[in-house]
Amino acid sequence: MDLKSRLSDLQSQAGVTPAATAPKPSLASLRERIAQLEQRGRSRSANTVKAPASPRMPPQELAQRLGGELIADGVTRIRERLALTGELGSIALHALRDNPRLPGDAHADNRRRVYIDTETTGLSGGSGTLAFLVGIAVVGDDAIDLTQFLLTRFSAEDALLSAFADCLSADDRLVSYNGKSYDLPLLLTRFRMQGLACSFAQLPHVDLLHPVRRLFGNRWRDCRLLSVEQQLLGFSRVDDLPGSEAPAAWFGYMRGGEAGPLIKVVEHNRQDIVSLAVAHSAVAQAIAQPLAFGVDIHALARWLAASDEAGARELLQSHVEHLCDDGRRLLARLWRRVGNWRQAVALWESLAAGGCTDSLERLAKYHEHISKDLTAAQRCCDMLPANAQQQHRRQRINNKLSTPASRNATA
Amino acid sequence: MSAPAEQLEGSPVSPAATPAADPAEALAGRLRSKYAARITGELVVPAKPGRFAALPADLDPRLSAALQSRGVQRLYTHQAAAWEAVRAGRHTVVVTPTASGKTLCYNLPVLQAALGEQARALYMFPTKALAQDQVAELMALNEAGTLGVRAFTFDGDTPGDARKAVRTRGDIVVTNPDMLHQGILPHHTKWAQFFESLRYVVIDEMHTYRGVFGSHVANVLRRLQRICRFYGSEPLFILCSATIANPAELAGELIDAEVTAITDSGAPQGAKHLLLWNPPVVNPDLGIRASARSQTTRVAKMAVKRGLKCIVFAQSRLMVEVLTKYMKDTFDNDPRTPARVAAYRGGYLPTERRAMEKKLREGAIDCVISTSALELGVDIGSLDVCLLNGYPGTIAGTWQRLGRAGRRQRTALGVLVASSLPLDQYIIRNPEFFLGASPEQARIDPDQLLILLDHIRCAAFELPFKQGDRFGKEDLGEMLGYLEEHGIVHREGGQWHWMADSYPANSVSLRSVAEGNFVVIDTTGGAQTVIAEVDYSSAPETIYEGAIYMVQSAPYQVEKLDWDGRKAFVTRTRADYYTDAIDYTRLKILDNFEKRGQYPFSEKKGTDPFFPCAVAHGEVHLVKRFAGYKKIRYYTHENIGYGNIELPDQEMHTTAVWWQLHPEALDRAFTSRQESLDGFLGAGYALHIVAAMRMLSEPQDIGRAVGDGNAEWFATVGANGRGQLLNRDGEAVDPVQLQRFTPTLFLYDNYPGGIGISAPLFDNQAAIVAGAQQLVTACDCAHGCPACIGPILASDEVRGYSPKQVALTVLGLLSGHGS
Repeated sequence: MDLKSRLSDLQSQAGVTPAATAPKPSLASLRERIAQLEQRGRSRSANTVKAPASPRMPPQELAQRLGGELIADGVTRIRERLALTGELGSIALHALRDNPRLPGDAHADNRRRVYIDTETTGLSGGSGTLAFLVGIAVVGDDAIDLTQFLLTRFSAEDALLSAFADCLSADDRLVSYNGKSYDLPLLLTRFRMQGLACSFAQLPHVDLLHPVRRLFGNRWRDCRLLSVEQQLLGFSRVDDLPGSEAPAAWFGYMRGGEAGPLIKVVEHNRQDIVSLAVAHSAVAQAIAQPLAFGVDIHALARWLAASDEAGARELLQSHVEHLCDDGRRLLARLWRRVGNWRQAVALWESLAAGGCTDSLERLAKYHEHISKDLTAAQRCCDMLPANAQQQHRRQRINNKLSTPASRNATA
Repeated sequence: MSAPAEQLEGSPVSPAATPAADPAEALAGRLRSKYAARITGELVVPAKPGRFAALPADLDPRLSAALQSRGVQRLYTHQAAAWEAVRAGRHTVVVTPTASGKTLCYNLPVLQAALGEQARALYMFPTKALAQDQVAELMALNEAGTLGVRAFTFDGDTPGDARKAVRTRGDIVVTNPDMLHQGILPHHTKWAQFFESLRYVVIDEMHTYRGVFGSHVANVLRRLQRICRFYGSEPLFILCSATIANPAELAGELIDAEVTAITDSGAPQGAKHLLLWNPPVVNPDLGIRASARSQTTRVAKMAVKRGLKCIVFAQSRLMVEVLTKYMKDTFDNDPRTPARVAAYRGGYLPTERRAMEKKLREGAIDCVISTSALELGVDIGSLDVCLLNGYPGTIAGTWQRLGRAGRRQRTALGVLVASSLPLDQYIIRNPEFFLGASPEQARIDPDQLLILLDHIRCAAFELPFKQGDRFGKEDLGEMLGYLEEHGIVHREGGQWHWMADSYPANSVSLRSVAEGNFVVIDTTGGAQTVIAEVDYSSAPETIYEGAIYMVQSAPYQVEKLDWDGRKAFVTRTRADYYTDAIDYTRLKILDNFEKRGQYPFSEKKGTDPFFPCAVAHGEVHLVKRFAGYKKIRYYTHENIGYGNIELPDQEMHTTAVWWQLHPEALDRAFTSRQESLDGFLGAGYALHIVAAMRMLSEPQDIGRAVGDGNAEWFATVGANGRGQLLNRDGEAVDPVQLQRFTPTLFLYDNYPGGIGISAPLFDNQAAIVAGAQQLVTACDCAHGCPACIGPILASDEVRGYSPKQVALTVLGLLSGHGS
């Protein structure tokens, strides 16, 4: 008998599949079996959740505590109107009346700004993470209108998303903080999960994190919204619940635990959207007065140059005494591009004196091809580090120097 | 070589019928006439003409045109059968030999649907390399017919900015199970359009999805089907597999549906000639045979000198490098000519492997030496000769490797060269065992509770579960109830929602735990060039300080190993030796969860010798120590020195089942401790086979060991075929000298932390012991063989010492009934 038939005999004696042979445990014991397996199998921290000490606050009562109302079974809406008077930190709120315009923002005009921030059940993304709190702020002529939607039942998520979508119109533009990579994709996922159309995906969207990173990334320790508040708006939150604790706060309430932490999450989110709206104006002001706000001028000019070279040049030129070498190199490049060689050469010379070989090379090119001062070109070239390119250039300049006629002939 | 089923039709060899003009046949004839005594078995499978069918009438004309422009005027019968089955809406698995045109079986319906209805397909390959090959092949057909079908790979190497295009524009997305599990399913909303129009799921190399890996993959496919239902699609599965005994059954378990199997290949096959080769006895007094290595090299050299393209499979990466060196010493000693010999194995950089595959396809390489890495369907063109340096361990694996050689028009030669290992010697001495046996069954257990639970977590994250949903064969409500108790899901109305701040797929690995690869950095001449990667588990035995590490048989010496930084710094060397690590495994019982019988035994009174056996289940600590290494000179293979390996012990906490016998019962049943030790080792072997079958796992998912349970000593089978005790330092211990002798037989879960195999082992221990008794009793052998208690030495057979009988005695005692 061969191995296979022996083995198959053996199997048929034992029964074939484990589903058929393993003693089918009674249902009651399945959980115990898993618990045992989990504990003995891999010491995974499998602590059972403690039963809450007090029954959970009914959503109706929670809504009242939050100053909101239940608009569906499981969705609380909280609305608030903030007049554009007084200030937040160092920023006067009436400044928010002006539509902030950032470099390259083609949609700044004629669109209502809708600030948006969500609180979610996790940071890892994926279809198991949902937004349990969606906050938006619409800035009008004399007030900020805040609306927050809080979920208190999983099954009400479609109602929450629909209510949120109803707040938006096709003429809006969204402003967020890290929303391009976080909040908006997550909301898209939720709309898909609920089988709802999501028209807001097409709306123009400014993610304020990106300009803040550009302007202050080299200056601040980090670019979180809290840092924006401290560095740019000039205030610090008191008794704020860190965003990282939001998931636990919501889970706790959903499991029947206390509502206190969740109430603090709602306040945290409210503060986030207000700060976001104010920060938008503050960033626009910082761009207008870069020195006063400690903006990295070079970074701002680079950003500006993508849409407005003249503006970038003016900015750099008016701050020329504060510029780093990179800033001066950029300025020289911008002058060169409009043919202002006098300004460019002056910058290159001062940079080259400081040991900038790139500028030295620019000077060599300039003298060889533009000013046709071959002696000066040769002098610059000789100071460049020796490499194949430098040798080649030097050779060419020397050739031109020895046969000026050929240069004229080919010119 | 092809499927064994067809080989069984082969006729006994008749040398007169051999056409001398056929070069591989001529080599076989030469080997037979020159080395008749070394050939212990032979099989010839005659050539088989192709059987064809017309291109299907309903095939899209653009697709017919593309096929015809690539020279395909008609289909093989199995391709046509697959077309019919798939078009009839049946899940289909195709099991035909290597190079029989399997890919067309799925590419045709997929392309047809992509052209006609913009339907999409998901291809799943076990590795990234195979996925990339597949896209290349699809693109060739696509371009031939300017079909405009877009096929992309989506795996860990896909750059972030290209991912969106793959998701939204790919007609065919080619991926691997790990990416599907961690990258696609948890983000299914981003793939909404793709899933909505998903028509076909193609699973190639299905035979790799077995054991623990296969059980995980079956659950990933359950999740995939669940997501498809959410998007309103119900894709048809087309699977392909190398030969296994139960393709339709495995396919059915993987996709949880009935699957039609197509196993009758219509592709033409050249004749196949297989020789079983035993190296000659070089020392008749000691019964020592020449090494497999020397024999393999000799035959490979003969083949290459005759202009035959040759592939050599070796059992380890080290042996690949050694054999490559020997072949290169003969054929690549002129550095001005392109290399004719190449090594191929895991651990080379992907670019290097791709380049090697290309050279193989172009026929630029005359001899390639590989590990099992080339066993899978990487396209390497046609080869004439396949040499196996040592028995691969399974019948299916052997045929799969032999299948890499094969040509349409002429004979392919396979030579299985036995090593001196007992299993190899058994196979080679009993050729009918190998030639007559069917390949093994591939087994999975998707409902293994912990694996199932892991995937229920992942599935709950992907979509809420509803009352009445099914997922696996266990009671889903109970499983969810368990997760609810642990605050991972939240029940509301009739639904369970994910409620944790985590991404469960990231904590579930489908394969063994990856702890980070090591890179090998060449610092010769002050440079720092990465020349290879070594996976974590094999690092301690390959890149210890002092090791000779070989890449394409060029030796490098490891100067420094940065264990924490996962880096090995090497320099080129001219050493005339290679190094081989020496390792020991010890087990220590930490905690027992459950026990039957009186455990632990003490030498004191109070335990009852009439209930001789104790069995327990619990946590163990396993230590693998790499004590040192041997330096072995090339060609002479003399041992020219030792070195120490200074590495932390490789430790693993896992769970195990173990059996012990009462010392008095031991004394009564056996004449010596040595005898009982042999019995334990033999019984362990049989229990291991039965346990792997009962658990439907791969044998390597379970480890076995015989020791004292305190990591003071452990037993191995020594070179003399007898049980041998080694202490903590790897020194031999005489069992008679031990004060306390309580041999303990362990079957342990061979994954860090355990994957839940040992608890059901414990629950079923009585049946497993009974099964092992049955296996050994029913075995036809006289004194023991690889099919029951493990290979035994020929000398034992001669002397009539029966390790089989002592193993049965141990099993009898373990069953509690005496022997």
